[in-house]
Amino acid sequence: MAALRHISRKVFTTFLKPETRPKSETCAICIRLLNYSSIEYDEKHDPAQKFFNKEVQSLLKDLTRVDLSKVNRKRKLGARRLENPEYKFMTDEELKQATEEAIQKSEELLQIPPVVSVRKPLNHVFARDPALQGLEESKMVFTDITFGIKDAERLIVVREIDGTLREAEWELKNRMNQLYFPKKGRSLKPPKMFYGEYLDNLLERKEYEFVLDRACIQFEPNDPDYQRVVSITYQHINDHDGFDYLRSTRHFGALTFFLAWHKNIDNLLLELIETSHIEEAIKLLDLFSKLQAVNYEKAEDLDKIEEYISKFSNKKAALELGFQAYKDLARQRKELEDGIKVAHGLG
Amino acid sequence: MRSFSKAGLPFPPPSKVIRFVREGCTNRPFYHIVVAEARSDQHDPAIEQLGTHDPIPNEYNEKLTSLNFERIRYWLTQGASASRPVQELLGLAGFFPIHPRSYMTAWRNRQKATEAAAESAANVAKDANVKS
Repeated sequence: MAALRHISRKVFTTFLKPETRPKSETCAICIRLLNYSSIEYDEKHDPAQKFFNKEVQSLLKDLTRVDLSKVNRKRKLGARRLENPEYKFMTDEELKQATEEAIQKSEELLQIPPVVSVRKPLNHVFARDPALQGLEESKMVFTDITFGIKDAERLIVVREIDGTLREAEWELKNRMNQLYFPKKGRSLKPPKMFYGEYLDNLLERKEYEFVLDRACIQFEPNDPDYQRVVSITYQHINDHDGFDYLRSTRHFGALTFFLAWHKNIDNLLLELIETSHIEEAIKLLDLFSKLQAVNYEKAEDLDKIEEYISKFSNKKAALELGFQAYKDLARQRKELEDGIKVAHGLG
Repeated sequence: MRSFSKAGLPFPPPSKVIRFVREGCTNRPFYHIVVAEARSDQHDPAIEQLGTHDPIPNEYNEKLTSLNFERIRYWLTQGASASRPVQELLGLAGFFPIHPRSYMTAWRNRQKATEAAAESAANVAKDANVKS
């Protein structure tokens, strides 16, 4: 199995994308920058409706492959100290209840960050008053701090130097909201880790979860900057097979949605087939059909995969090889099981 | 106890005013916008804080002001008046009409700027003449 996986990977990397193979370190960097441009969810095709669909949500959750010990693992918490564990004697009923509570908590930790289209720029002008030119040499920013308004609905206006009174643009709005109503963990300016070489460095070190968690805190989901960081990270994960880094985290669903939305699930599908997670592969194909509004002619599970590979896949050779390997393995296993049964006198 | 004026009539209840309180320190002004009893000292405890105003521009060349418009509206309905600087500020925020003083200051600043420009131009011309 391992040998077959190795071969299919080789086919994948050598024959299918020879132009993207790095020849030296410097070359790799320039190719990387060219490869990963920001992919935003634009307004024309709003992903929100499909993302919040119950069936899609449950598919995404299933594909996350939740491992509770990974969800509740120790984390990098910075200065926060871990508390000592508390051991308790419990009756069976209490234990059941406690387990249920733990599962509930993990569900909260695993809530997928919303996928929405990128926001529109704000440019509403309330008044123009050229007679105010010369009054101030700097802009005046007025923030409404009335109690109980949502940050997104808060009125923030700017009196420009030329006397125009207009609504603040998003960048300024976010800055004022964070200034007057600070959110924990969010900084006033986006940190440098989301830009240029710093982001590259983090991605090279495969700190995917760190980048995505921090982006979730720093930005709103409709922020172009958020969608840039997240989409670049997803593309990096997809190209470097880093799916295991995100399994059992809240980001795996969003990653899968991104890949299926942009018709780019071949790498993930190959990984699922290679690791014999055929049920998940079929769920992935279901998700693909839901998002892309395509139907498979055949209802049988394995036939579905074959149909996908022949019709929609961009990387047919590698996928066919991987699928063949899976089928051989399944056949061998079945033979072995039958053999064992016969040996035990059951067959 | 009710206080009485010399004419034997009760004093009118003291009126409220929305005004600045200078916070910050030496050479670094920063203002709270508060509603307070008129005639009370600036640094006496105010009735309620309604906002802040930072007169020194930040690194993006913005002067930041925060205003609790809901409470400001409430106090205005209660008969509170606003001091002139606060009126000017609320005018610039689009909450009040622009205060006439703002137009005057703007006009004077523009006048000064044109005069300064004319003077510097004249100086340049003079220098050129002297050199030639």
